[in-house]
Amino acid sequence: MLASPDKAPVLEMHHISKRFDATQALDDVSLTLYPGEVHALLGENGAGKSTLIKIMTGIHQPDAGEIVLDGQPVQIANAMQAQRLGIAAIYQEPMIFPDLSVAENIFIGHAERTPFVNWGRIVREAEAILGRLDVKLDVRMPARGLTLAAQQAVEIAKAISLQVRVLIMDEPTASLSAHEVEQLFRLVDALRRQGVAILFISHRLDEVFAIADRVTVFRDGRWISTRLRSEVTPEGAIRDMVGREIGDFFAKTPAAQRGESLLSVRGLSKRGVFSDISFDVHRGEVLGFAGLVGARRTDVGLALFGIEPADSGEIVFEGRPCTIRSPEQAMRLGIAYVSEDRRQLGLSLPQSITANITLPLLRRYAAAFGLLDFKAEEQTAERYKQQLAIRAPNVQVEVGKLSGGNQQKVMLAKWLNTAPKLLILDEPTRGIDVGAKAEVHHIINALAQQGIGIIMISSDLPEVLGMSDRVLVMREGRQMGVFDRAQATQERIMAAAIGGAIPDSPAPRADGEGMA
Amino acid sequence: MFHLPSALRRWETLLLAILAVVVLFNVTRSPFYLRIDNLVNVFELSIEKIIVALVMTFIIINGEIDLSVASVMGLAACVVARLHADGVAMPLAVLVALTVGLLCGAFNGFWIAYVGLPSLAVTLAGLIGYRGAARILLEDKSIGNFPEWFNALGQRPLVGPFPLALIVFFVMLIAAAIILQRTAFGRYVYVIGNNKEVARYAGIRVKQVKMRLFMASGLIAALAGVLLAARLGAVRGNTAEGFELDIITMVLLGGVSIFGGSGTLTGVALSILIILNLRNGMSLANITGNTQTGVIGALLILSVLVPNLVGRLRALRSRMRPATTGPTPQPAQEVEIS
Repeated sequence: MLASPDKAPVLEMHHISKRFDATQALDDVSLTLYPGEVHALLGENGAGKSTLIKIMTGIHQPDAGEIVLDGQPVQIANAMQAQRLGIAAIYQEPMIFPDLSVAENIFIGHAERTPFVNWGRIVREAEAILGRLDVKLDVRMPARGLTLAAQQAVEIAKAISLQVRVLIMDEPTASLSAHEVEQLFRLVDALRRQGVAILFISHRLDEVFAIADRVTVFRDGRWISTRLRSEVTPEGAIRDMVGREIGDFFAKTPAAQRGESLLSVRGLSKRGVFSDISFDVHRGEVLGFAGLVGARRTDVGLALFGIEPADSGEIVFEGRPCTIRSPEQAMRLGIAYVSEDRRQLGLSLPQSITANITLPLLRRYAAAFGLLDFKAEEQTAERYKQQLAIRAPNVQVEVGKLSGGNQQKVMLAKWLNTAPKLLILDEPTRGIDVGAKAEVHHIINALAQQGIGIIMISSDLPEVLGMSDRVLVMREGRQMGVFDRAQATQERIMAAAIGGAIPDSPAPRADGEGMA
Repeated sequence: MFHLPSALRRWETLLLAILAVVVLFNVTRSPFYLRIDNLVNVFELSIEKIIVALVMTFIIINGEIDLSVASVMGLAACVVARLHADGVAMPLAVLVALTVGLLCGAFNGFWIAYVGLPSLAVTLAGLIGYRGAARILLEDKSIGNFPEWFNALGQRPLVGPFPLALIVFFVMLIAAAIILQRTAFGRYVYVIGNNKEVARYAGIRVKQVKMRLFMASGLIAALAGVLLAARLGAVRGNTAEGFELDIITMVLLGGVSIFGGSGTLTGVALSILIILNLRNGMSLANITGNTQTGVIGALLILSVLVPNLVGRLRALRSRMRPATTGPTPQPAQEVEIS
């Protein structure tokens, strides 16, 4: 079963580097795939897995490095060419056309260039492919209504119909039930026997260890290790994933003393999204929300801000029980939510810095006859431009023209202007460069010292550890624990986020509230 | 204190230049053109449409469309005529017509704002449905014989050389400009048109804003319909039929993005002046109505084409930067900010 080194590799990626603006997404990584092996790729969010996939499928071009297919160097210029070379990817959410039949979905990519479709042949071949995979589906039925697992089977069949040599599976199990995962693994086995090289990406370590032949770990865009499965333990893999130095620029001044309780949440649930979330935030405290992408941390933030209200659970804000059903209501209570998606949810890009900052409180700027006081608006904007060091020629500049870091500061200004008591920051430093990141951390520190309670959702583990007084870890909509600063180590948080066994803490003291 | 991005300035400059050419052409071609009664006449023949175009500007900037306006105009006119023929006092008939318009707008607004249906579909249904109601009210009769004072309002000057409808238009133009550029509501209209979600995440009541816009659209369309009835002196089931396309043309030529989020009333006012003067000039020069329509169609195509080409060229040049705006770069992008 193990990939034998005596077989010739099908795909080799040598010394690949890729940079986006300030971010070195991939730095000199190499990866070799052999026919008939399942090769797991592990890494935290931002480790460079997605960038590698996009390079393999021709969506991005590497800045440096070489891709070798069957011993021949190749350029993968676009998705079409990747397909011709036999490289295909399937994702967490299968890309299925619900109104087309199963057979049509399987052959969607490559109808022959003849004027008429040979329906008989398409149906026969679709049946043959599914038969080889041991999948029983009526290929004439529309794909609508297929289970996720069946949709993935269709995706895999589609890849096979394209004579796939290398199949990338990007978190294919994330939305599947345990039973469906089993079905999927049988398909993966069938592919392996047919000599397909499979690059398998998953955050679930147990799955990785159940199916992979070899395991590669990336961290911060760099290659860390590649080992045979028999030579690697879950603990070792986690260590490789997180074992990085924490830069000292994350240092948060620890809360001088824990202020009174600001927000108290008990048993907050939203059906099918998250359940039984319980925590407290005190004035002047930073509560970190750690977890992997898809852990539903943002959904908890949205519930607290009233965008997608929770179904059940108690929220007590400043000692008063309340239900939050709209952003307006949350704003009146003194809650602000700084979205993770600057461009789609956070900022009106074609509008000025001023217009964006004053937006939530715009009515306050209305003077006589409801006319807006442009001067007062501008003064507000100027004040924040100075305070937060927003780098722009003036406050009339379109926000869309600013750098990511400055956009982030405009978003912070927009919400600080509402004078919040509780600030929910969702990925406050995603996609901004190191300098701007340090500035944002500095601002967060200062806000906490002014007594604002802060919830910081972040997928950047060192950031969470460096900035938080306490860390709440979520996994797939569930709360895995709340760790005090002293107990929160990268290994423990990552283990909780992945669902592994949490290693002993240096000071093994159960946290008072809500170790789930 | 007004800050306008250079692209917008260029767009409105372009409109101004076109207008200058049109006016120059008219002055040289016809000695009657500059007479005050002709200038009033320029407006008068389309006065109801340009009143409705003001509200349509808000709706399109908000990222929606209202195709039902002409049918609401027709329905309001028919309601007035029917009630008058049945012996109802004229002021009451007008009041009922305006209420009917408001309800039509509220009906559109409910489905669009609160149920979330696309305005294109909802108001297309309105276009058909309200027109149907108008035809049912009047069958195939033409009803006129309005009181003398009512016809006079539509046909005679009220103040100086200006008839009532023209005064209504100018008052509304000023009010609309102030609301759109100087109030929180106006700013919300732009933000929602740009990105509804950003507005929602900032605590803005998106549904309420949309509802109000469609109600205003219904009410103003009904008012325009009543004014039309007064000017024509008689109403039929097909009164104002097809006006919606002329109205939308005026707004789009004014540089308002069909995708929402950008445009100014200055641009729309200029585009109205261009269209009306072009039609008037061509009429004075004995150019047929069909040719006139063709010319205006060409102008609209150019107005959509030119900014898109410019935008695409600019996008090509700055390809390294990520796209920052909606699907189509449009000339006018911003509310003025102090």
